[in-house]
Amino acid sequence: MRAFLTIVIGTLTVVALGAQQAAAPQVTSQDLLGGLKDPSRWLTYGGDYNGHRHSPLTQITPDNVNQLVSQWTFQTGTLGSFQSTPLVVDGVLYVTGYNNNAWAIDARSGRSIWRYRRNLPEDLRNCCGPVNRGFAALGDRLFMATIDAHLLALDMKTGGVLYDVELADYKLGYSATVAPLVVKDKVIVGIAGAEFGTRGFIDAYDVQTGKRAWRFYTVAGPDDPGGKTWPPGDAYQRGGGSIWVTGTYDPQQNLIFFGTGNPGPDYYSQAREGDNLYTASLVAIDADTGQRRWHYQFTPHDVHDWDSTQVPVLGEIPINGQPRKVVMFANRNGFFYTIDRTTGKPIVAKPFVETTWAKEIGPDGRPVMLPGHLPDEDGSKTCPDLGGGTNFMSPSYDPTSRLFFVTARETCAVYYAWEQKFKPGEQWESGGTIRPKDQKNFGALRAIDPATGQMKWEFRYTSVSSSGVLTTASGLVFAGDGEGNIMAFESRTGKNLWHYQLGFPVRSTAGTTYMVDGRQYLLVPAGSVLTAFALPQR
Amino acid sequence: MTRARSRLWPALVFAISGGLVFAQDLPGRSETLPPGKNPHLGNKESIRAGMALYRIRCADCHGLDAAGYRGPDLVTAIAGGLTDERLFQTIRKGVPGTEMPAATTSPDDDLLLLIAYLRSVGTVAAPESPGGDVENGGRLFASQCASCHRVAGRGGRIGPDLTRIGIARSRSALVREIRTPSEWIGPSYETVTLVTKDGQRIRGAKKNEDVFSIQVMDSRERIQGYLKSSLQDVVYEKASLMPDFGPGRLNDKDLNDLVGYLSTLRGSDMTVR
Repeated sequence: MRAFLTIVIGTLTVVALGAQQAAAPQVTSQDLLGGLKDPSRWLTYGGDYNGHRHSPLTQITPDNVNQLVSQWTFQTGTLGSFQSTPLVVDGVLYVTGYNNNAWAIDARSGRSIWRYRRNLPEDLRNCCGPVNRGFAALGDRLFMATIDAHLLALDMKTGGVLYDVELADYKLGYSATVAPLVVKDKVIVGIAGAEFGTRGFIDAYDVQTGKRAWRFYTVAGPDDPGGKTWPPGDAYQRGGGSIWVTGTYDPQQNLIFFGTGNPGPDYYSQAREGDNLYTASLVAIDADTGQRRWHYQFTPHDVHDWDSTQVPVLGEIPINGQPRKVVMFANRNGFFYTIDRTTGKPIVAKPFVETTWAKEIGPDGRPVMLPGHLPDEDGSKTCPDLGGGTNFMSPSYDPTSRLFFVTARETCAVYYAWEQKFKPGEQWESGGTIRPKDQKNFGALRAIDPATGQMKWEFRYTSVSSSGVLTTASGLVFAGDGEGNIMAFESRTGKNLWHYQLGFPVRSTAGTTYMVDGRQYLLVPAGSVLTAFALPQR
Repeated sequence: MTRARSRLWPALVFAISGGLVFAQDLPGRSETLPPGKNPHLGNKESIRAGMALYRIRCADCHGLDAAGYRGPDLVTAIAGGLTDERLFQTIRKGVPGTEMPAATTSPDDDLLLLIAYLRSVGTVAAPESPGGDVENGGRLFASQCASCHRVAGRGGRIGPDLTRIGIARSRSALVREIRTPSEWIGPSYETVTLVTKDGQRIRGAKKNEDVFSIQVMDSRERIQGYLKSSLQDVVYEKASLMPDFGPGRLNDKDLNDLVGYLSTLRGSDMTVR
């Protein structure tokens, strides 16, 4: 009897302990604030709230990176390519894929643990493919935006749906591809779909209940500050301003920063005379209330489809001997900006690719326009092309060397514009582009000094690339070209140290790096395959 | 817009994300022309919507007027009898071995709108008559062109296969490409000379390239890849491997005959019976 009781009590104790362990949240708000303080994990889209994509891990170095070998590959078994940054939580990867598939995967072996697949509506339309940029995490929850414009909370343990919130009506062209951003008790997400004549917004939802806490419209309404930068009437209702790249967060100011998309329609200027605030801008928003603190518009009245949906990278750098809290922003319009993140005033603004549309950014922060670049039915050639000087691919910032690394695109296009009648739910761009016949586009990895905007080095690719960039404290930069190579460079010089042909270009990210069982892994999504690299075990 | 949204991105969207997607995996994406009449044919609003789609997704290669640019002349192709089924499948599946991507993620309706627009354009121009002395053109082709260009399985391979060139190019485009072939050189046919470490020079058509390697077909039609680290130099040439056939080399009458012959090349049944 005593033995039986002992077994029962022992069993209950084990169960209770097990339950207690299971109840402990895997990711806390403090963890998110810590960023990559525990570099075995990768908890947010940009690795930390600053969007640095800079890992403190140093096992892989410039001296040994050429010994990297693939450890495992994970094939999704689905179609379409990754644009997702995988999260890493205690030896498990959480990654989203094409058509809103998602997986939990053993980070050691590449074996699947669970899979989620969303049933998408048959009449779904979107401009650019049903891609997804990744999860956000808090507690035991994962958050994912969906291509049919919903926000999901998934159980991290099972992939089961905990809640499902409609952000907007997909039938009107709204969609969502952004990796959400969790700040305190809110999950922050933006909406895409501007080419369908939608009105963009950034929303915050309660992480537990899914109830909306606030909404910030990226297109000012008639009674909002900035409302007069739109024509009278309802043009603002179709004003675009998509959000499809994750923002960053400054806890000291309690501000979140997002780059906003271009105005709609994309090319036809006459449909929306004015600056079209807050499109093609950087907005600083109070994380608790959704109130705009300040904004800076990169491209007033954009007519080249240059969304400013790039990652606003936060840093503290000395400029002219003074420490400054800044946002670093390589914009699709071809200019690199360093902006005071307390005031929104640009400190540095220099082209980082060939730009023919503006002479410079003037002292008032507005571009000094050059003539002949307003698209019309006859077409006008402008550099960069609509893909921009860079785009959705994430840059990286190394706070030690104070270098900003970005995948640059050297391109030009002939832009056309024509009037197009708006019909809800139909693509409405009022124009298009053609690549000039003799145009030789190419891409490059560039290192920029954010204090001056000067390029320190570049590594040229054969063609344009949409790869993001990842850096490590050991002095490495990882990036991919348009031909499917993942490469490592010495961060100080740009010297190429290693490459591996993945068979498909890396897009959006250059992957993540994490630590399991004392080994540093480089995890690269490309096509429908994840490849994990590590140094050989001795 | 969005993401890399795509317009330019037709090229990118379809080629990159779509490259691994197949129509049958997505609802509302048929691989063949949906049954019944295309509801958009002749409808003014639909044609305008189709024109907008065309300009965004197709004009980059086929030209704003659909008369051919980097890609084939669609006006001539349609006026020449291209069926809706063939059009639908070509758009949906792309053309393997060419820059034409597969529109795997577009709803059927988008393709039907495009067809309605192209039909409205294609009825504008009547098919061009071959013209010229086709027989003489054929002889000229055999003596001047066939060592590099292939037709129906016969001829050289260092230049593009011309078996279907009569569908793919307008007469004016053919004249331009014969007289001044270096004006625009298609991908996979750019001229390159590789210099090996021991000084050997290998001239040929570049088939592919990345930062670390290059793949070519040399003048002996040998296809081979090289690691750039094993080469002394890679020389990119602006001139096509094809010489200019100016009036001194090919007079206007012979040019007319040759174009006449090329215009008759509309595909070949290679089935073994």
